[in-house]
Amino acid sequence: MSPIKRLFPEPGQRPLRQQLAITLTAILTLSILVAVLLLNLLFGWQARELIDQRAAFFMDAMLSVRAYTSKKVNPIVAPLNQGAGLFRPEAVPSFSAQTVAGLLKDNPDYREYSYREAALNPTNLRDKADSFETGIIEKFRRDPSLKRQSGSKATPLGVVHFVAQPIKVSKESCLVCHSTPQRAPASQLLAYGDSSGFGWKMNEIVGTQIVTVPQKAVFAAKDRSLIATAGLMTLAFAGVGIITNLVLNQLILRPMREISRKAEEASVIPATVNFEERERRDEIGLLARSFERMKQSLAISMQMLKDRKG
Amino acid sequence: MKRWLSLLALLLTSACGGVPRSDVSLCGSGGRLRVGLVGAEEGQLESAAGVLADREQFRLRELLTVASRCEVQLEPVVSPEQARLRLKNGGWDLAFLPPGLTAYALEQNGGYGLVRQLGRRGNSKSQLLVKASRGLTSRADLRGQRLGLLPRGSLSGFYLPLFNLHGLRFSEVHYALSYARLREMLHDDKVDVIAWDGAIPHGMDGFEVLHEDSHLIPLGALALSQPLLQADHQPFLRQLDENVTQLPRSLGYASGVLPEPYALKELRAIVAAVEGWSLPQGGQAYTVYGAKSATIAGQGGNR
Repeated sequence: MSPIKRLFPEPGQRPLRQQLAITLTAILTLSILVAVLLLNLLFGWQARELIDQRAAFFMDAMLSVRAYTSKKVNPIVAPLNQGAGLFRPEAVPSFSAQTVAGLLKDNPDYREYSYREAALNPTNLRDKADSFETGIIEKFRRDPSLKRQSGSKATPLGVVHFVAQPIKVSKESCLVCHSTPQRAPASQLLAYGDSSGFGWKMNEIVGTQIVTVPQKAVFAAKDRSLIATAGLMTLAFAGVGIITNLVLNQLILRPMREISRKAEEASVIPATVNFEERERRDEIGLLARSFERMKQSLAISMQMLKDRKG
Repeated sequence: MKRWLSLLALLLTSACGGVPRSDVSLCGSGGRLRVGLVGAEEGQLESAAGVLADREQFRLRELLTVASRCEVQLEPVVSPEQARLRLKNGGWDLAFLPPGLTAYALEQNGGYGLVRQLGRRGNSKSQLLVKASRGLTSRADLRGQRLGLLPRGSLSGFYLPLFNLHGLRFSEVHYALSYARLREMLHDDKVDVIAWDGAIPHGMDGFEVLHEDSHLIPLGALALSQPLLQADHQPFLRQLDENVTQLPRSLGYASGVLPEPYALKELRAIVAAVEGWSLPQGGQAYTVYGAKSATIAGQGGNR
């Protein structure tokens, strides 16, 4: 006999209590499995939403820093860069955004976040796009209507979630530093040379802003929630199973066993047996009344037989 | 039973024994490794010559990421002045430096230590180059002339020339990012004397060496910031040593070789002395003047 057939034999082959326990266990286990699978999908979707929200917030914060530098800091600092003195990168929106992101990373809570402005031809070679970033920039250049790319990125340190936006030359003022070395401030040429960061054109997509946010911690939290939920469901279902079993025993099995015992006794000496359960208004009462009628019929029959003999 | 118990004990011991050494991360502040890449050579003919090709940079970044187990922020720098500022502000955790900046890094109150030697032995020497037609024959003749230098941070292009011109007043000081640009400025009569590196042929007729410094320029070095020196950095260096073929050849990374600090001793004193002077602003007049340390007094100066 196969193990499944042994576990689920034909109905009526085991005591009711066992049959009910096995059936309930099977139903509840299946329910938990289905629920865990659905919850895994739901929690996974929520985790991705959370990661996306964090990435979007981080990106917006960095864009605000850029905007502030562009509107408030650049007009004050940029004129100082015109001479051959020290180049002050504080005038550059990209520098300020990346510096703020760097300071944010000093907080251990944000250590795994990163913000980068990568360009195909940057002034500061630190911002040179790597092969992954070049792929993203090229995609933005091929499809100028594309406003955002996101996904997972495998790094030697693990998988991170990234969100990227294009960097487009939208202001004429950008071209002061990025069109030709002749237009660029002398201090910039002394700091970064005249071989990189030039040749940009208006409305050209020259780079990408990429934020990466950790997904390991979010997915680990999701897994912990899932395990906790599954554990609670198992406990709740086990409780339900036990209570159902107790109720069944109290309401059906015990009265049935009692009626069965009385019926056996009545088959020998009917007069001594009393089916008190007949007062009940449920199916057990119905069964008891049937047995009571059978007992009385049996008693009459036995009396008639005795009278005929006498 | 005994066998099972010993197996369990072995498992517990290995589980509690910590991560393997190769898994130790070596990160700077913010969990990143900020790497400065200036190169090993002192002075380049072209400013872009010291810049690694993209492929080499990406490979270097990947190797450093794997070795440090941190997010690596690699910053190739063409201006020694920019590199000097990064070192001054502790902006790098690890730096591939030429000798001038190596000497400067060591002067940062113990902010950096040298862990590997870079570069190949050359015949680099600091020179002062003039146009032969100008009739300038000694350093004393340079009084009131216009001087062309590499940015602050360069040994052969800034510190040594200034040290050797001590006491002179120049009508103007100009900067360029490369020796090629300085040569062009001299050729176009925008300056009268320029700093030059003896290892680079000037390749033009009509130029002559007015003065050559006696110091042989030493090799560059890989410098590590003090917090990382105090951390367990040996696994990181071991990874670099074992993968030396993946490092750009131009860096001249010497696997397992510690730099020779005594080779830099005198040059460090010169760098420290010049750094202590008020230094020239681009396009302005300047008198080369300042205190010299006891160890180097008597050298330099115009004759």
